[in-house]
Parts: sequence; structure tokens; C-alpha cells
Amino acid sequence: MSSSSNNSSSEPAGRAGVRRVALVGNPNVGKSVLFNALTGAYVTVSNYPGTSVEVSRGNSTIEGESWQVIDTPGMYSIHTITEEERVAREILLHETPDVVVHVLDARNLERMLAMTVQLIEAELPVILVVNIMDEAERMGLKIDLELLQKRLGIPVIGAATARNRGVDAIRAAIAGYKRQGDARRRFPYSRLLEQDINEIAGMMTGEYILSRRSLAMLLLQQDEEIIEIVRHREGEGYPVLEELAREISFKRRGSFHLNLSLERNEIAKDLLNGVFVAPDKRVVTWAERLSNWSVKPLTGVPMLLIVLYFGLYKFVGQFGAGTVVDLLEKRFFVDMVNPWVIGLVKKIVPWEIVQELIVGEYGIITLGIRYAVGIILPIVATFFIFFSFLEDTGYFPRLALLVDRVFKYFGLTGRAVIPMVLGFGCDTMATMVTRTLETVRERVIATVLLALAIPCSAQLGVIIALLSKAPGALAVWSVCLLLIFIAVGLLAARILPGEAPMFYMELPPMRLPQFSNVLTKTYTRMQWYFLEILPLFVLASVLLWLGKVTGFFEKAIDAMTPVMASLGLPREAAVAFIFGFFRRDYGAAGLYDLQTKGLMDARQLTVAAVTLTLFIPCVAQFLVMKNERGWRVAGGIGLFVSLLAFGSGYLLNQLLLVTGLLA
Amino acid sequence: MICGFCGYTFDEKDGKQGCGGCSGGCHSIHCPRCNYKNPLEPELVKKIRRIFKKNDSDKGDAE
Repeated sequence: MSSSSNNSSSEPAGRAGVRRVALVGNPNVGKSVLFNALTGAYVTVSNYPGTSVEVSRGNSTIEGESWQVIDTPGMYSIHTITEEERVAREILLHETPDVVVHVLDARNLERMLAMTVQLIEAELPVILVVNIMDEAERMGLKIDLELLQKRLGIPVIGAATARNRGVDAIRAAIAGYKRQGDARRRFPYSRLLEQDINEIAGMMTGEYILSRRSLAMLLLQQDEEIIEIVRHREGEGYPVLEELAREISFKRRGSFHLNLSLERNEIAKDLLNGVFVAPDKRVVTWAERLSNWSVKPLTGVPMLLIVLYFGLYKFVGQFGAGTVVDLLEKRFFVDMVNPWVIGLVKKIVPWEIVQELIVGEYGIITLGIRYAVGIILPIVATFFIFFSFLEDTGYFPRLALLVDRVFKYFGLTGRAVIPMVLGFGCDTMATMVTRTLETVRERVIATVLLALAIPCSAQLGVIIALLSKAPGALAVWSVCLLLIFIAVGLLAARILPGEAPMFYMELPPMRLPQFSNVLTKTYTRMQWYFLEILPLFVLASVLLWLGKVTGFFEKAIDAMTPVMASLGLPREAAVAFIFGFFRRDYGAAGLYDLQTKGLMDARQLTVAAVTLTLFIPCVAQFLVMKNERGWRVAGGIGLFVSLLAFGSGYLLNQLLLVTGLLA
Repeated sequence: MICGFCGYTFDEKDGKQGCGGCSGGCHSIHCPRCNYKNPLEPELVKKIRRIFKKNDSDKGDAE
């Protein structure tokens, strides 16, 4: 179990007798993945003393010996700039690790190798891990690790730690690490630089962890922490050293740092000559090709339609909401469970009113549990499989870039894709996520669009399954929703004037998702969804039963009958709308029941689906809207959405009647 | 864990959790970089992973 303590005074030093290995390198090169692979689940995380930077430590038994593994914060150079880099160097300076594992990204070998050169110059016990080799190989890059090892004079291991490749070799290299004094390379700089470095290094007499040569370079770069250390160690001899450093800096007009960096980059380039071979024509992988296509409007929009067709229509709509629901709801609940439970309850419970509560028309088992398990569960399961798969491919950030241009017209940016995409899972939670958008204007517009035109997964699944049975119905529903989404977006941007902020993001690579990851994510999301809906569905059944017993439910249906009639819907359709007040998915399940009873034709089904999708958000979403935006805005959105839903339903019905579409 | 949206690698404790919006407890962690809501690995899966880790004698032990 992972434990964490944010104790700024926690001791960094490990236990006596335990050897230490420090993982260093740029951010996002896979250090943490390697750390987890080496240490297992048990780690401690604490602030490095005197800083707010957290350092993870764990223990590992490597070839029978105990090691403490330290995951240092990301650093780009031994010459530090940020607090994270300072902490990483502090660990190297004060915790004297027995082995320093420098992890770098194989795809950016040349840029990152300069730090390896620095670590070797500092005479630290370095092992180089060239990570993310799998991606590099896919790009057609060839790296001669043996030759690199020979040139650097340190162990070099190729790895893809995210895929557990090379981890055993890293363990073996740590366990068998021996300082290779003579084999260690010295990297010569230009005559002028060498002269400066040697002059300073030659005057040092103290004992240091880093080599004098390395310290001399850092001193000439005016590294304050190193200046303090050297001042302390050199004692009386320091003023002469300081004077010499100042003299050299003056002579070089402060260009020492720049010259050193340029020369070190040249050294890295020379080291890689013949080691790193990029193909003449860079191999563009399928992942990169897909990535490029997905963000360009000309190819990105068709790609999006393909994803929606196969993912939502075929998999969630036809397979989940069709085949699996048919099996679970009809064959299992209606044909097997319900008759048996009804018989059992009627035998055991003598009171008709209680029988009605458990197994009646709106009974807890015959309606609540049947809806939750028989209809909603298979739909959200297939939806979350599709969603998790897509998520793990890295498609969502590309979708954000694709729609960014269009969203600008709605006063939003591609960032709003996050709540929109999450809204297909659950609008309530997505409404909460709108708070992460930059401006209040964006948050209000995103909240309106979520409340109006983004159906939740269960609602979407049921609607796709129902409408796909009538030719053209799904197309009419999609076009209606899209037009309303665009119209309301444009209108909202006009009513709430302001500038849409800039949106930019670094794209993670596109990948083939791992089956186990997709399943784990689906399981978590389903567990959360099911735990949330089950009690609510049971509660809704009880309320509906109460409404039926008291006659209130009938009165509500009577009151809604004229509205239903104006939409061209049968009186019974009011039931689905009343269900929808409780939850969107509950309303959709009600619609499913009406269709299976043969109460609605294609036109009525389409009108009901459009109205119900646009219809007032469920109670939970409304309460979140109130919390996020206040009563006034939430009430305004609720009223606007309801009027627009029924208005659109009315107009659509008239249009379908006049044109004879879906007749 | 790796954010499902922006690909940022972060520790579970670094993400925001528990906004109180979901009944039945929080099962998600928001990415510290982009705020995307990532599902938390269930305890059951963690336990299974731990069993596999323990079976590998070369791997980590408790601190």
C-alpha cells in the first residue's frame, strides 16, 4: 500500500547498510514507471527537507541485496535552474547514491545525452537507460547500444519500461555495478575552455562528491549552491579561487555558459555518430499517420464519423442496447425472473399494495431492478468499453484540436471537449468538470450545451437502439441535435460576449490500447455508475408506486396529456417524461418500454427521442448546476432547456407531418 | 498513473479527488495538468497486481 507523508522535516537518508540507487533524468522519460517496476507497491513519498518538492522512495531486493530506490524530480542539467532540479542534485550531492541511473528517451537521445556527459564528467556511478526503445524502433530509429557503451565507458541498457522490457537487465546492471575507472571517458572541450576549467580545478584542494573538473565548470557558470559548497570546503584558499573565476568570467564576457553548452552538444553529437541512425526518409508510423489525419478537418471529420458509426452505432447501439439488452431484459427478466418473482411475492405477501410495490407495474424488482440491470447495465458496459478503448488510444486530445476551431464560434475552446466527452458518460459529473474551464463565460456556455444536447451513455444507447429500427429516424434525430447544438452554441456566444482563450496542448502519442487497461477502466466506471443508479432507480420505483397509490401519478399524466398531444405523442408517452425527471437514463428506459409495447410509430419515436434528449436535465444534474452556477443561472438554464425541448419537439412533429418523412 | 486525456504521468496522490459529487464515494482522480477525470484503479485490481508482484522474488518489498 502506498503511503505518503508531507513532512518537510522527514529524513532523506536511507537505512544504514542499505545501498542506494537514484533515478535521474528529464521529466516524462519513464522514471516513475521504472521506479514502480523496481520497488513494487510499497513506497513512501515525502517533501524534500526545506522544499515543497516531493521525492518518492521505495525498497527493492535486487539479487539478494537490499536497495533503496530514489525517484528524483525531473532535471535537464546538473547546472540547476528550478527547485525540482535543485532537489534532484541535492540528492546526488548529499545522499551519495551507490548507483545513479540516468533514464532518457531514445527518441530524443541527442538532446538528452548532454546530461549523461555531465554525470560522467562529475564521476558519478552512472548507468544509462535508453528508454522508450519500442517507440524509437517503430519510428525506424536504430541505436547501437554496444558502441554507445564503449564510447561512454559506462553500462548502457536499452529498455521500454512501460512494457516491462529491459527491467531485468537494469536490475542486473545495478546489482553488478562496478566503477570502471579507466574505461570512463573524458570528454575534451576546446583548448580555451579546457584551459579555464583546468586552471580552476587545479586550485581546488578539498574533498568533493562531484569531480573537481565538474565543479570547476559549475563554478564558472556561477552556480550559487556550488559556490557555497566550494567556499566552505576550500576555506582560506577560496578567495584566490573566487578571484580567478571572476577573472575568467570577465575575460570570456560571460559567454562561458553558452560556449560550454554548445560544445557539450557537439560532444553528444560526436558520441552518437554511427550510434544513432535515423532512416533517410523518416518512417512515419501508422500511429503518427492516424494522429495527423485525426486533427485535420478534411480527414478528421470522416474519421470521427467512422469512430461514431462503429463505436456508438454498431457496438453500443446495435450490440449493447440491441442484442445484449434483448437477452438480458427480455429473455432473462421478462421471461424468466419476473414471472417467478411475481409468483413468489404473491404467495408470500398477502397485501396487494405491498405486492404492487415489489412486483407491480412500477415495482422495485419488475421496474427498478429490471431497468437498472436489464437495460441500463449492458448499455453503459458497452459504452464504457468503447469509451475506455478510445481514451487509451489517445484520440480525445486530437478530437479537442479538431473541434477547437468550431468551438471558437461557440465561445469555447478545444479544452471544452473534456466536459463534453465526459458528458456522454454522465452529464452530472461533466457539469462539475466545467469548473476547470478558464473563464466564467466558457463554463456557462458549456453547462448549457451539456444540459441541452449531450445525452448520457444510457440514454444515447437506448435512443440509438430504438431509432436504428426505423429507417431514417436516427439520421433525423442526429441532424436535429447537431443543428440545435450549433444554434444554441452560436446564440450563447452572442448573448455572453467575450474572447475565447487560447488553447494549446502537447499531444501524447497514439497507441494501441492494452486490453487489461481497458477492462480495468470499464470495471471501475461501471461499478461507480451502477452503485449510483441502483438506489436511485429503486427510489424512483417507490415514488412512482406512491404516486400511483395516491392517484398523483395519474393526475400528472393527465396534466401532461395536452403537451403530449401537441407533440403528436400518445398519452402514455408522458410516463417516459415523468421518469426522465428522476434521471435521463430512467426516462430512456421508459421510452424503450413504450416502443416494445408497440405504442409509437417511427415519427412519434423520433419526436419523443429528440424532446427527451433536449429535455430538462435530471434532478442530480440540476442540483450540480445550482451548486456550480447558482439558483438564478441554473433555473434560467432549466427553463430555457425545457421550453426549447418542447418547442423543438413540436416543430419537428409538424415538419415530419407536413413532409411525410418517416411516415 | 497516466492521464487518459493528455498522457501526463502522475502519482495518484497528486491528482484531485473527492469533489463530493458522486454518491457512493469517489472513484476518480482528476489529472493535475488538464483536470480530466480518470478512473481510479479498483482495490481488487490493486490486490491482484500486488499478488503478482509478491510472486516475483526479485521485486520490491515493504518499506
